[in-house]
Amino acid sequence: MTMTVTEILIEVVLMPLVAFVVGLFMVLMMRKIAARIQRRIGPPLLQPIYDIVKLHSKTTQVSHGWMHDIGIVMAVGGYVAAEAMLPVPGMNGIADKGGLIVLMYMMMIPSLGLALGVGQCANPNGSIGIARALTAMLAYDIPFVIVVFGVAWHFGTTSLVEIVAIQQAAGVAGWGATTMPLLAIAGLFTLQGMLGKHPFEIYVAPHEIATGPMVEMSGKYLGGLFVMQCFQIYTAGVLYVTLFLGGGENWLTFLAKSFAVVAIPMSIAFVFPRYRTDDLVRVFWKWPVMAGLLGIAFVMN
Amino acid sequence: MNLTVLDNLLVFSLFSVVIILLFGRQRMVGWMSTLFYVVQFGLLMQMTTSGYGEVAVASSFTADILGHSLSWRFDALSWFFAVITVGAALLSACYSAGAWGKKYNAQGGSLWWLHVALSLNVFSMLLLLASGDLLSLFIGWELVSWASFLLMALAGGIASRAALKYVTYAMAGAMAVLAGLVLVYNVSGSLRYEDFVASLPTFSTAQVYVLIALFGAGFAVKMALMPFHLWQAAAYALTPGPGSAFLGAISSRMGLYAIIVVIVQLISLAPLGALHIPFTFISGQGLIGWIAAITIIFPTFTALRQNDARMLLAWHGIGQGGYMLLGIATGSALGSAGGLMHVFNHASYQAALFLSVTAVVHQTGTADLNKLGGLITRMPISFIVMLIGIIGLAGMPPMNGFVSKWMVYRSLMVEGMPMLFVAAVIGTLGTILSVYKLIHNMFLGQLRREHESVREVPWSMVAPMLVLSILVFVTGMFPGLVLQPVAAVQAAIGLPVVNYTLGGVEGASGALDMIWVCSVLFGGFGVGALLFYSTGRTQHIHQLDNYAGGHFLTSETRYQYSDNFYAGLMRVIGPYYRYSFQWLEASLYSVTGALGSGMKILYRSAHPSFYLLATAVLVMAWVW
Repeated sequence: MTMTVTEILIEVVLMPLVAFVVGLFMVLMMRKIAARIQRRIGPPLLQPIYDIVKLHSKTTQVSHGWMHDIGIVMAVGGYVAAEAMLPVPGMNGIADKGGLIVLMYMMMIPSLGLALGVGQCANPNGSIGIARALTAMLAYDIPFVIVVFGVAWHFGTTSLVEIVAIQQAAGVAGWGATTMPLLAIAGLFTLQGMLGKHPFEIYVAPHEIATGPMVEMSGKYLGGLFVMQCFQIYTAGVLYVTLFLGGGENWLTFLAKSFAVVAIPMSIAFVFPRYRTDDLVRVFWKWPVMAGLLGIAFVMN
Repeated sequence: MNLTVLDNLLVFSLFSVVIILLFGRQRMVGWMSTLFYVVQFGLLMQMTTSGYGEVAVASSFTADILGHSLSWRFDALSWFFAVITVGAALLSACYSAGAWGKKYNAQGGSLWWLHVALSLNVFSMLLLLASGDLLSLFIGWELVSWASFLLMALAGGIASRAALKYVTYAMAGAMAVLAGLVLVYNVSGSLRYEDFVASLPTFSTAQVYVLIALFGAGFAVKMALMPFHLWQAAAYALTPGPGSAFLGAISSRMGLYAIIVVIVQLISLAPLGALHIPFTFISGQGLIGWIAAITIIFPTFTALRQNDARMLLAWHGIGQGGYMLLGIATGSALGSAGGLMHVFNHASYQAALFLSVTAVVHQTGTADLNKLGGLITRMPISFIVMLIGIIGLAGMPPMNGFVSKWMVYRSLMVEGMPMLFVAAVIGTLGTILSVYKLIHNMFLGQLRREHESVREVPWSMVAPMLVLSILVFVTGMFPGLVLQPVAAVQAAIGLPVVNYTLGGVEGASGALDMIWVCSVLFGGFGVGALLFYSTGRTQHIHQLDNYAGGHFLTSETRYQYSDNFYAGLMRVIGPYYRYSFQWLEASLYSVTGALGSGMKILYRSAHPSFYLLATAVLVMAWVW
């Protein structure tokens, strides 16, 4: 099953494109869900695209220096690269050259880029937002690595290609969610934090720290973050499907599963207020960690 | 007598010490010693013709002390550590040679003594690395301790107090090692490596564990493993700039070297693996793993609280040592390769970070994280060096720190050690938080008014920093470059050898190819750049034009978030900082002090004449 370099390169180009398009629709779905919960109609089908085009074509584009610019480039570019490691039906890209741990760390690069970019803005609201966001990362990544370990131990590999193959060979009974329900629950909890949605979005807190990291972002800077959000939602959703729901047998089931997974945290998000940073940390270090450790105990026996 | 390459190296190293001591008072001392290290580096490179010293390079010098013959040789392990040592010294010396040294002299320091201490460190480390028996190992060990004391004490004041503390710890450690030597000599009757290995079966099981404990604890002091870690941060941080880069890069790894030689190479990990710690589920090997994991977590989160950039880095240096030991403690091909590779990786990014911080101190006069900010516009190259360094330290792709940590994580997964794995990742996450604070408070955020006129440091300081940064990146993208000597080390010390490629490692269940990962990452950045730079013209605005909730900012306004950076997190974990070890150290100190005063009272205040008389009578009786 060795692929030529050309084939890999084609997939590496196609996979982020697919991710971007699917991500756009996931953002649309998020806004539709929010609207329905608030008894509104919600935006039209192409609204996310309109927004990106609008933000990129604004005349006021305020830059605070070159790291501010490069931060946005890293935020988008890091996810573009990460998508090439996340297998989708029919395409593996470079998933066999990295695996789960590499993907886990690749997903931190956009956050680092954003953090550096915001840092140069010289606005304490932004810096406070980043300090909170990094704290949140420390909070949700601990249950996340427990989940990662459990899954890798259960399937005996960190290769996402193999994890998908093993689950698909065994059918629904062999899915991660069936064989490791506790880890699946911990994973879902983590997903909520990873997406930075309510109740875990203290770091943007609009009224208190003026949207935190976004405070000095205008025009295409905000547009870049919008694109990043599309990728972020896609990556988190598809990673969950890959680890727990057998990946995608074909595009239809793949998309159905991914949208369903993403819909869960979004439905929860819009009916909650937000946790304070320290409470957020306590919540993540208590429930999902307990579920995850218990899950590992079952998996390793 | 035919001189081998190793002879040349050791003699030349000693020669450099003498020359610098005699003729080092000139201004050119920095460049002179740089040249000496270049020659030493060249001699080390000459050894690679025999496959990184896979066939040990012997020295033709021997010495006899009280019937023990001392011998020296270089194997792959020595070579690997020596290259890092000389490389770090070379770049530190180069850094100190130009503008930095001039300013250091002008401020009352002595560049001459700095270079004497540095060259003495290099010589003693090479001698330690070359040791061919337990006695020469011990002699090298003591020399290294005193040489690093000299370097640490240079700055005087608080620094010499920190250095004295180090010496106290080092002496205690040396006593443990000496006790180990006595035990070895008693049982096997010789201190030669071959005789020791040959007589190992005659040691009782308990004796082997006592040996491991004595040597392990003794060498752990140098590596600042918990609970012997308290001396290191201050001692390293307060050393003059390039010296701290050198110490931070390699000095404490001498402890790791000695642990590897005695516990992995000579005794082997088998007895530790067979030991079951009573009342727990873990083996002796697991216990070492846990010591390493604790050494990762506690110092890392101590670093998170530091407000001095150098202290922050020095505390991370302690924490990163844990990853090396953790990798080696797994004993697997992948894990031990990761641990060994981390020695090189850590040296490269830690030296870069220390030099970058030193550059800022050189230009602004402070390393206080609450008194800096916004220097990116004034010192962009130092910023880039620090950026590359912190990505390496935090262990994120595409820098080299990621590769070695990945190998350690992966091996912990394969070995089925969930808690150690989670502990290792927690250390990494804490590091990410801490290094962001470092770079944010120094280079990002608001530029202070008093730093408006700060400039980038001159090329003599920039060049070594850039060399290190390039090294951090290149060995991250092509880890095979470092894994080649690492594999030779594994073969030399009897561990399974990692199956490496130029881009990473091969493996049945999860491979790593950094060439692809990095290429795709930069491709992704290219896409991001295309999207960003092809749309909309940006306008640059002054930092005082920021959003301030309707207020106007003036240059008087301090508009920077720096103190208590992770306030929310500290509300959760703050109460757990109990400084128990400092308390323990302080109580040990006062107990010793009290015992000392007690003794003093006994023989000096209470009945001094009586004791004097009694002693005199006893002495007379004995002489008679």
